[in-house]
This record gives sequence, C-alpha cells and structure tokens, in this order.
Amino acid sequence: MRKTWKLGWALIALCMLLAPARVWAQTAWNLEQGKSVTAMAMSPDGKLLAVASSDTHVYLFGADGKRIAAMKTGNVVTGVGFAGADRLLASSDDRNLYAFDLNGELLWKRDLKKRVEGVAPSADGTTAVVTIQNSSDLLLVDPADGSTLAKTSIGARAADVATAPGGGYIAVGGKDQNVYLLDGRGTLLFEAGMSGTIGSVAVSDEGRVAAGLTSSTVVLLDRDGSKLREIAVTDSVKDVDLTPDGETIGVADYAGHFYLISSAGKTIWQTQVPASATQLAFGAEGKTLYGGTENGGVYSYDVKNAIAGAQSEASKKRMMQAAAGAIALLLIAAALYLLKKYNRLSVLKRIWQAKWIYLSLSPAFILLIGFMYVPALSGLYHSLYEWNPGGRSTFVGLDNFRRILSDDYVGKGIVNLGILIVAGLLKAIVPPLFVAELIYHLKNKRLQYYFRTAFVTSMIVPAVALLLIWQNLYDPNIGLINRFLETVGLDGLVNSWLGDPKTAIWAVVFIGFPFVGILQLLVLYSGLIGIPDEWIEAAKMDGARLPRIIRSIHLPLLAGQFKFLIILTLIGVIQDFNAILIVTGGGPMDSTYVPALQMYYAATKFDELGYASALGVSMFFVILVITVVNMKFLRSSRE
Amino acid sequence: MSAPVRATRAPRTIVGLPMPRPAAVRQALLIGTLTLLIVLTLVPILFMFYSSLKSNSQILGSFWSLPSPPRWGNYGEAFDSIWRYVLNTILYAGGASLLVVALSAVSGYLFAKKAFPGKEFLFLMLLAMMMVPGILTLIPAFVWYEKLGLTNTPLAIIVAHAAGGQIFGTFLCRTSMEAVPSSLFEAARIDGAKELTVFARIVLPLSVPILATIFIMQTVGTYNDYVWPLLTIRDSDMQMIGVGLTQFTKQFGITDKGVQFAAYSISSLPLIVIFSLGMKYYIQGMVQGALKM
Repeated sequence: MRKTWKLGWALIALCMLLAPARVWAQTAWNLEQGKSVTAMAMSPDGKLLAVASSDTHVYLFGADGKRIAAMKTGNVVTGVGFAGADRLLASSDDRNLYAFDLNGELLWKRDLKKRVEGVAPSADGTTAVVTIQNSSDLLLVDPADGSTLAKTSIGARAADVATAPGGGYIAVGGKDQNVYLLDGRGTLLFEAGMSGTIGSVAVSDEGRVAAGLTSSTVVLLDRDGSKLREIAVTDSVKDVDLTPDGETIGVADYAGHFYLISSAGKTIWQTQVPASATQLAFGAEGKTLYGGTENGGVYSYDVKNAIAGAQSEASKKRMMQAAAGAIALLLIAAALYLLKKYNRLSVLKRIWQAKWIYLSLSPAFILLIGFMYVPALSGLYHSLYEWNPGGRSTFVGLDNFRRILSDDYVGKGIVNLGILIVAGLLKAIVPPLFVAELIYHLKNKRLQYYFRTAFVTSMIVPAVALLLIWQNLYDPNIGLINRFLETVGLDGLVNSWLGDPKTAIWAVVFIGFPFVGILQLLVLYSGLIGIPDEWIEAAKMDGARLPRIIRSIHLPLLAGQFKFLIILTLIGVIQDFNAILIVTGGGPMDSTYVPALQMYYAATKFDELGYASALGVSMFFVILVITVVNMKFLRSSRE
Repeated sequence: MSAPVRATRAPRTIVGLPMPRPAAVRQALLIGTLTLLIVLTLVPILFMFYSSLKSNSQILGSFWSLPSPPRWGNYGEAFDSIWRYVLNTILYAGGASLLVVALSAVSGYLFAKKAFPGKEFLFLMLLAMMMVPGILTLIPAFVWYEKLGLTNTPLAIIVAHAAGGQIFGTFLCRTSMEAVPSSLFEAARIDGAKELTVFARIVLPLSVPILATIFIMQTVGTYNDYVWPLLTIRDSDMQMIGVGLTQFTKQFGITDKGVQFAAYSISSLPLIVIFSLGMKYYIQGMVQGALKM
C-alpha cells in the first residue's frame, strides 16, 4: 500500500517537473508609442530589422534589438523592404516612396501622386515592386534612384505584393481573390483563384508562393500555379512569409499566433502572443523569425531552437500524457484496492446493474452539463479575460471587476437598483398581504374562490405585452394616466413620465399598480389558510380583536412566507432588466440604468463579453450571499 | 357558504327596521375593496381591449367614449402581422415543454424510486444549478450557443428551455413520486411487468397532475421569454412573440395604436387557452414550487 503511494507521488512530482516547460515568446522590444506594426523586413545579411509603424516612422534595429535609426515619413508607413546591402525603401500613405540608407539618411523620395500601398524590393537590389491606391498597375522601380523601370498591369488591384529574395519572381495577391505570379520583369506566369479574400502573399526563390487568406487558411502554390497544400490556422491570416528555400512557411494570424509550417503542411511550431499579430519576417537563411503585433510589440524567435523546443515540448507532452494515463490507472487500481479492502467491490457490480438507469438519466445530464454547467463555468472563467470568442482572449486578472467599480453607469444602476429593491420588497409584501387578508376574511367560500381567480386572470396577457401597454399608459399625449389627470382637473400633474429623467425610474417602479402579485398572493393566502383554526378561536376566546389577531398570530406564522418572498424578490429584482429594456432602454440619459442592463449592453452593443461576464459574476455572488445569509437566518430562526 | 342570518339576534333600530349587522357591513366592505383592487389590476387589460377597437383619431379625439364604430378590422390587420410569431412561440413552447416533461418524468422517477451508486451526488448536481441565477449564464450561454451554431435556429430556444426547465421539473417529480407507495410497483413487477411497462402503465398515469403542472408552467415560461430570443434569434421568420411585439410595428410600418393593442390581445389568446384548461395546475405548481423551495 505504502509503496503504491510513493510511486504515485513520484509520478506527480515528475509531472510538476515537466509542467513549466514552455514560453518561447520573448519580447525583443517594443515600439514606444504602442502603435501597430504595419510592415517588417529583414536585411539580406540578417543583421538589421526594419519595422514600419502606423506612427509614420520606420525603425531600424540591430539583430540584438538595439535601435539604430528612426526615419520619419509624412503618414502611416505601408510597406518597407531592403534593396541590396545599402538601402531600404519605404512606402507611405503620404503618397511618397522613400529610400533611406542604413544610417537613416534620406537618399531620395519620389512623389507618386497617390497613396502608395506597398513596396517589395528584391533582396539583391535590382528592382522593387510598388503598388498604388486604386490602380491595377504594378510599378517596377529602380531602387538606385526611384526611376520607373517598367509598368505592368495584372488587371486587378493588389492586396499584397512580394518579391523573391533573388528578384526572380514577383507574387501579387489580388483583391479579386486571385494570386498572380510574375517573373522579375513583370511578365505574368500564372494566375490562380483562391477560395477567400487574400490578406498576404510571399514568394521564394524557386517561385513557390504562399498566400494567407482571411478565411483562416494558408495556401501553398508551386511555380506552375498548382496547389501544393492548404493549411488551416486558428484565425484570419494577417501575414505570411517563406524562407528563401521555400521549405518553411511563417504565418501570423489575428488571434496572435505565429506558426512555422513545413512545406509538407505540418505545423512545426506555434506560439501565441497577447496581442493580434500583424507582421512577420524571416531573418537571413530563415534562422530567425520576427513577429510584430498591433500594439507595437516585436518578438524574435530562434527558429532552430523554436523547432527543437517545440519538439521537446511535444515529447514532454507525450510524457505528460503517459504520466497522466499511468496516474489514472494507478488511481483506478487504488480505488479498486480500497474497495476490496473495505469489501465494497460490490459497488462496481451495482453500477453495472444500474447501467440502464444511467443510460436513462444521460439525456438529462448531457443537457444539464452541456447547456447549464458549461455556460456557468465559462462565465466565471471568462470574467477574468478580455473575451473574444473565436479569437484571442487576453487574461486581464481582476481588471474587469475593477472597471465595474469605476463604471458610472453601474454606479447609477446600483442607486436605481436600491430604489427598485426597496420598492420591490414593499410591493411584494404589502399589497398581496392586504388582499390575502381581505380574501381570507370573506365568509363566502365561493366568493373567495372567485376573487382569487379574478386576480390570477391578470396573467393572461404576456409579460411583454403588459409592459408595452404600461408604456402606452405613460404616453404624454395619448396615455391613460395623463388623460385621467386632465379629466379630474389635475392638469398641473401632467408629465412626460418616462421621458423625464426625474420621474422615469419612479414610473418604472409604478408599473403593475396596484401590485397584487399572483405568486405572492397565493403564497400568503395558502399560508393564512394553513393556520389552524383552533389558535384563532382560542385567541378570540381570550378577547383578541382582529388587529391583534393579525399582529400576534398571522404575521408571526407567516414569517416563513415573508422570508421566501423577500429572497425571491431580491433575486428577481437584481436579475430583471426586461421591463427597463422594453420600457425605457435605460434612458432618458442614464436615469433608469440597472447593472443587469449594463451587462446586456456591454455584451450586445459594445461586444465586451469579458466585462459583461464579470458583471454577471458579480451579481451572481451578490445573489449567492443573499441566499446563504437567508439560509443561515432561516435555520437559526428555526432552532 | 355565507353564515345564515339569524333574525332573532339582529339588532333593530328604534323604528323597528332591520339594520345591517356589523358583520355584513364588514363583508360588504371587503367585497367592495376587493372589487376596486381587481378593477385597478385589470385596468391595463381592459384598456388594451377597449383601445384595440379604436382608430388613432378615435383614441385622440374621443379618448373616454366607447369605440364607435368598433373597428374589428384592427384584429385582422394585427393577425396578419403577428401570426407567425405566435405560431413560432407555440411550437417552441410546446416542444420545450414536452421535452421538459419527458426528462423530468424519467429523472424524477429514477431519483424517487431507484437506488443506484452516486444517486445523491447526481441529484445534488441538479439542485446546485437551481442556485445559479440566469444572469450569470445569459451571456456565456449566448456565446456558447453561437459557437455550437445553435443561434438563429429554433433549437436555441427549445434546448435552452429544456435544459433549464428540467431541473425544477425533476425536483417536483421526485417529490411527488416519492409519495407514491413503492408496493404498487413491486406488485406490478411480481406480476411480471417489465420496467418500461411499470413506467408507462403505473408511474405516468399516477403523475399526470404533476406532469400537467410542469407542462403548463414551462409553456407559460417559454411563452413569456424575451431576452433569450432577443439575443439568439435574428431572423424575423423564427422570432418569438415577446420580441415580435416590440418589433412588428416598425417591421410592418404600423402606426395605428388600435392595431397594436389588437396585436397584444391576440398574443394573449394562447395564454387564455392554457389557463382555461389548466389554471388549477398552474396555481398548484406556483404554490408547490414556492413552498418547497
């Protein structure tokens, strides 16, 4: 027995050792402004990295992450690339094409009259492809002086262009969902249709083309246009790159993943960064991978190590799985051993005998777990995240909850909720109790039944219809309430009840007048008839009058019902926002907001699902506390 | 019945005319107050019906007077625009309620009358969900249904209501079936009845009242649902009545208040049918549910 335990602990310890084995993502550096990385390029010798940013600059970094130069253009930089060993070209939204030397000095700039959408120089510095806004022309420019070498048209506007490092091929991803491959002089070699919108293209020296689609797919094409592979990734592809030999594809997706994919279509390595990835570039000979994100982060990965790490991680994962399997087996064995020791092996027999029972219960529990537990746990979990289903969700700790504390709408909502709770409690107890007493004191049993039924009939109108009718009753012009006030001569009181921020919340409170809730009435009424007649008779014999009987017998004996109605009201009022959503929508201004409504709007209007979940979780905990306190209270009052 | 009046003890005025006894006055007062409260409670419903027969100019011009001539045509127009919502809602509510009844009957019976390992744990799992308020699950559930591709299909409504409704249903069924003497089942089994026969021939017939209660409560609950269909159903063709009522005026360009009120009245019809058939069960369910919680 003891031996088994030791073995178990050893296995657990092994797992612990294996567990913290990941994190390849090392931030190399950050652009100070935190602006999106719009383009990245690696110098042919692999010593310099050029990063273009939406903050109008091109930054030049050494391979160690030290900034060497910052080059300013007139607007967002749309493309950057090294042309030969001594210069880099940058295209900008300010309609100019720039050439800088490697110290950041401007060599020349050329005004192209329209927004320059991208530039892709060949690594050998012989040519550069430039794309222009709203034009299907590709401009081949001489990086030496910016003069036009050739102009060619592919008949479609380009979403992205790429030039092979050797300058032998030009790949164009068209906005018409076609990939075009041209040779170095601009002659069309093939065009190939894609199944979705093209976000990015890359081309190798052998003319192999990789195209990244927004439909979360990467397509690898051969030189003749035949499709080699189609690889699915998690999210919309933002950038692809190929190693010069075309054997490895790098992919960046919107969910913040970077992938290395072999030409056989196998994912060799992947990682995720906590921001949407926008760019990636291979370093010299494909040994290093650089990734850029929308918030200005630049990451560098050693491809070889990364692959080795991924492999060791995969083998660790396998070991973990094996260990987990062994532990599971061990646990089963231990359980069996314990069962045998305490002579309870028959439980297995009983489980087997009850198999039909479990089978019959399974639909109910599949629904219960699949559609109740999963959402509940997902809500608890994602309240700690900036939650983007299907994309990148970032862990933000308690930020969502901190935000609740500083959210003015929630603040206003809590004040309103206070009003609604106090009013709701009064409404739930006083009128129904009054009516229950009235009905209880009717001598005629048949009349009792009729009156009860008459109150219950108010339920025949759907809840939403009733709210809409009340909304109409409040109408300033044709509403019953104002008309009534005018008719009885109280013109001074006429008001736009729901339209006035001062009265709106009170108008919401007043909905349902005279507040004879059916459930409340029935609960209190059945509580009253449950009181033994003898007690009342005895009290009467002692000379007690009606008010005394109500105070000393009815009310104390209805305590259980009151508690029940109070907790039901609290839970109901905290959660309910139907009435406000339908009748006022939270307005005018923020005068009728409640926290639940803010949760609904956060999710539906602003797509802030993590924040909405945090609001839901907060209300859940408040309700939980109320329930627990109530249960304790109930118990202690019984004892 | 009312207490018989005993003339001998009735106090008289000096002139000898019978004066109403204080008890009778009190009864009259009770009846009067209750009637007033009922009228006030029903004001919105009466107003709805009253206005549903008027045109806009009749509402504006002669607010208090009876609709003359009554515009029954409002109902035709309203029906043309909302029949689809009503039909959808009846189908969803019926489907969800049948599922809830089936699941609750089976689970309730098993939990009440069978012994099997893990029974109390599983039941606790069920009960625990009763403590989880809808506000916690609303948004995550929406995301989850979206992920499963259930949004904008009738399944979004039916599955959600079946999964949620069966919890309370099972709870009610278990309590009710525990009260049925086990000897009844034993006798049938000794006579050679199979488990399925016992369930179909004995358990179900004995549980009709509780199952009717569950069915009706669930139907009314689904019929009145608003936020969930608002979140999950986008196509107007599949929408439910609650959301439909808030949207049909814009959708069909209806400016007549009378038609709107007629639509509200029409949307009440299915509830009227349900309550006239099973008001007793509904009240039972509410009171039972309230007392057992």
